[in-house]
Amino acid sequence: MWVDLAITLVKILFIIGVTVGFFAPILTWVERKQSAIMQDRIGANRADILGFTAIGLFHCIADALKMFTKEDFIPQGANKILHTLSPIIAVVPAILTFAVVPFGGQYTLFDKEVNLVISDLDVGLLFVFAIASLATYGYVIAGWSSNNNWSLLGSMRTASQMISYEVTMGLTIVGVLMVYGSMKLTTIGAIQEDFFRWGLFLQPLGFFMFLAASIAENKRIPFDNPEAESEIVAGYFTEYSGLKFGMFFMSEFIEMVTIGAIMTILFFGAWHIPFLTTATLLSWFDFLGTTGSNLIVMLIQVGVFFAKVVFFIWVQMTIRWTLPRFRYDQIMKLGWKILLPLSLANILVTGIVILVLN
Amino acid sequence: MAYYVNRNIKMTWWERIYIPEIIKGMIITSRHFFQNLFGFIPFFLGTQKERKIMTVYYPEEQVQYPVAYRGRPVLAQNEDGHPACVACGLCEIACPAYCIHIEPGENSGKQNQYERWPDVFNIDYAICIFCGNCEEACPEEAIFMSDDCEISMLDRKKMLYTKEQLLTPVADLQKRIEFTRNMYAKWNY
Repeated sequence: MWVDLAITLVKILFIIGVTVGFFAPILTWVERKQSAIMQDRIGANRADILGFTAIGLFHCIADALKMFTKEDFIPQGANKILHTLSPIIAVVPAILTFAVVPFGGQYTLFDKEVNLVISDLDVGLLFVFAIASLATYGYVIAGWSSNNNWSLLGSMRTASQMISYEVTMGLTIVGVLMVYGSMKLTTIGAIQEDFFRWGLFLQPLGFFMFLAASIAENKRIPFDNPEAESEIVAGYFTEYSGLKFGMFFMSEFIEMVTIGAIMTILFFGAWHIPFLTTATLLSWFDFLGTTGSNLIVMLIQVGVFFAKVVFFIWVQMTIRWTLPRFRYDQIMKLGWKILLPLSLANILVTGIVILVLN
Repeated sequence: MAYYVNRNIKMTWWERIYIPEIIKGMIITSRHFFQNLFGFIPFFLGTQKERKIMTVYYPEEQVQYPVAYRGRPVLAQNEDGHPACVACGLCEIACPAYCIHIEPGENSGKQNQYERWPDVFNIDYAICIFCGNCEEACPEEAIFMSDDCEISMLDRKKMLYTKEQLLTPVADLQKRIEFTRNMYAKWNY
């Protein structure tokens, strides 16, 4: 029992370390640097320690220091409790989603089955959506509690946008559920060991719709109306400063990682390398014994999983720095008039195909 | 003539399904991304001097300004160390911002190469608007716009440059002198 607890603790620490400790700060740097390189610029390179800049990586530390030392400002007339609470409500769901996301398969280490997922829920997929939609409350409360018209406008936009796109997202997932016949993320991942059963090939339309809907959920640039620097200052976090602003900022980047992870699990073969089954990999390292070979395969597959996540983060960043932004009515039109009927049609076609094939 | 923008662009079916066009755009941006990403590596290893990126690391690297660039005005100093200025005061009059202050000095009838020179010649860069009128007004080719633009100071009083600070050897200004000769000859003064 203690061993199980210790394993779970290690997994939790690993996930928090990777998302909050590694991805969130590094992605602020990646965002700047990638946009710069895409636009033939150089990008952040001024923060240095003793004249050593490390291609601008110290900007992460400088950003964090800046956030910590800034004044924590609560505007006059704001609701202090909700104003303080809302960044937490926004950032916690983004991290919490990772509780059911498997980042590797099942391995036998020291005669013990290790399942690389913190909590292997039977309704993992539903859990992801339930928790992800909780973040809406954080944004809405943030805008409402800060006693500012821009913030209120931003939070109204957030609410409408997130609700519209959650419908599409949920209906897109129905197609995936029908194809794999399971809501357990580990099972969905395990099925995709066969390259031709990746979600990308079984649900090509669902893949694009899910990508669009999840970027809209994350409120990044083609769908950045809730923040809209050019229209409503900074939307729902106009009145936030210091570490509270940092938490909103962090939640955006952690959500990017979450989206990448879920896309990888559902559509991109989870932790599997194409045409290489786990059994083949295990047989390659057979000479190391059961534990040794399992350990090596585990490391490889966790690496593959995070490589795919990084790829999806790259795709999201490229989209963000390539496309111009939508107007508000265009977002609503895309959500309700195009993506929703398409996702319904997707379910219909998937059902017919499954019926015919069986 | 007015230029009318056609806002009712008829898109084809292929363009209206949106995804192929997005992918096309992303191919363009990611081509730039990968070109620059791998263009960086030989630069950092030192095997390649030229970067593909146009941005300049400003204080460390500097670009050569074109001759037409108007930086801070300076006084030309002849080869023997004497200012070329004769303290006629035309630049003082031409200056729209009144940033030039001249007090002339004169030799009293002695046989000397120089009859007049400025005893005091101050330019207050805090007021100067870098218009180049002083250069245009000068009949003696004595005041020129240099390519130096780094004159920001923390103290406003230090922006007042005296004659000693302004004097620049003629040899350093040769390009600008050629340029002004061509330029102002064209306008037939």
